Amino acid sequence: MLPSASDRYARKAELIAASFLGKEAGAYSPVRRGIATYLHAAGIQAGYTFFAPNIPDYHKLTFELYHEDGRIEYQSPHVIGRAAALRLESLLDRLADQRYEPIREVVVKMLALAVWRERPDVKRIRATFGAISPPDINDFERGKGESFQPMFSYDFSLREQGKQ
Amino acid sequence: MTEETKITNAKQNRESHRIFISFVGFCKGVVMAVLRRWWSGFLAFLFPPETDKWLGALRIGIGLQLAVYTLFLRSDWHYLFASTGRGLVSRKLGEAITSFDSPLIPKLAWLVAAGGYVHISEDAVLSIAWACLLCTGLLLSVGLFSRVAAIAAWFLHLCAAESGGLFAYGADNFMTTGLFYLMLSPLPDRYSFDHWLLKADVGNPQLLGFWRRVLQVHMCFVYFIGGLAKCLGNGWWDGSNLWRSLTRPPFNLISPDILVRFEYALPILGISICLVELGYPIFIWIKKTRLFWLVCILCIHAAIGLAMGMYLFALVMIVLNLAAFGVGMSRNQSLTAELTAGRSEAQTPAFNQRESARPESPCRRNAA
Repeated sequence: MLPSASDRYARKAELIAASFLGKEAGAYSPVRRGIATYLHAAGIQAGYTFFAPNIPDYHKLTFELYHEDGRIEYQSPHVIGRAAALRLESLLDRLADQRYEPIREVVVKMLALAVWRERPDVKRIRATFGAISPPDINDFERGKGESFQPMFSYDFSLREQGKQ
Repeated sequence: MTEETKITNAKQNRESHRIFISFVGFCKGVVMAVLRRWWSGFLAFLFPPETDKWLGALRIGIGLQLAVYTLFLRSDWHYLFASTGRGLVSRKLGEAITSFDSPLIPKLAWLVAAGGYVHISEDAVLSIAWACLLCTGLLLSVGLFSRVAAIAAWFLHLCAAESGGLFAYGADNFMTTGLFYLMLSPLPDRYSFDHWLLKADVGNPQLLGFWRRVLQVHMCFVYFIGGLAKCLGNGWWDGSNLWRSLTRPPFNLISPDILVRFEYALPILGISICLVELGYPIFIWIKKTRLFWLVCILCIHAAIGLAMGMYLFALVMIVLNLAAFGVGMSRNQSLTAELTAGRSEAQTPAFNQRESARPESPCRRNAA
């Protein structure tokens, strides 16, 4: 929405803010760590955007559970309460973020393990993660549903774990 | 050049020099006076005398928020915060990410390690942490051992929020912020049990004013940044972001069929939200618009809570707004009046009466 000429200034401002917050310092710098501790202690370590600038697609993680007897079951990671469900959604949205790419597989593996504990007879789990685009209001009126766009999938088994 | 001309020139030079010196002195005086006035105004802005009504509201609100937070997470507490192989996602992963920022940030691993020294299991430590968090919330709500409860609540909540950082969302950050300011504010307030039973003194009015001011400025930053970021997204101008936010799980409490009926209201509501948030840092300070803006922002948060099921987030934002600009805020009190009043106020002795129901507003003082 802003003219592209403002990009240069925005980047400069970002760099200034980063150095002000000690992000330019080394990972073990006491200044950086001191500032980070204060920011976390005050709850201001993350920016406030409140669903801005736009609301992204939401994400879904589905497990295909392959049982010993050949049955295939579908399940998603779940919690009991609504407050925890909001947190789980927050986690799934984070997984789609490029910055969380290094830990993505570990997190999905842990989520799969949580499902596995409930069903020990499952011999293999395929985890598929993707983004769901909901229809806009006009498409909804025309009867169009949401669309699923797979982003990545993993296969886990008790003995061997491989990434697809 | 005759001798007489030389003398006349020298006199003129001396005269010019004197005029220049006096002009510089005058300018210096003006600049110093402006700086002094600005500094006095700034100090008066930072340290306005305040009653402890806002602190009472913040304490009770955050205490209730904490109690609701623990009760809402009761059934999933161990599942969210257990370590590897027992929970949903290992707590240790979240803690490792937090430790990368700084190893000094409190986390549940500290409590688990401390429990290990006295042979208390991880499960028991998590249960104790949950119970302590609930107790501190209740203690804060009634105002018993307010300071200790506020520090313990901040620490325990921060431990949980950081250990479960992968699961955290906006409500956690705002709860940490609220608890952080509450812990630093001059507790107890006069509405607490500490004051009634233990006869504890209430805080210095100027210190109370300072911490309220910090909270107010914080809220202005929050809404300005949020509003600005929204204005940059085209979806807020045509209402599509409202549609998307209300129809995406798990926020889809209202049926899309109902939303379709209000299709034409969505762009208006979207633009209104942008304007209310962006205008917050300006219109909340102006006495004529303060109440309207506050009601608008409270309505937005109430709607978020009811229509999207984000009860914790809605409650904490309502509490912070009421504490910052709602409770005990005189209708006649405006920022410009305070800044103006600061000039004369800076010379007056500190407002230090314990039992004044409400310090006289700067406007009224000036009028008198």
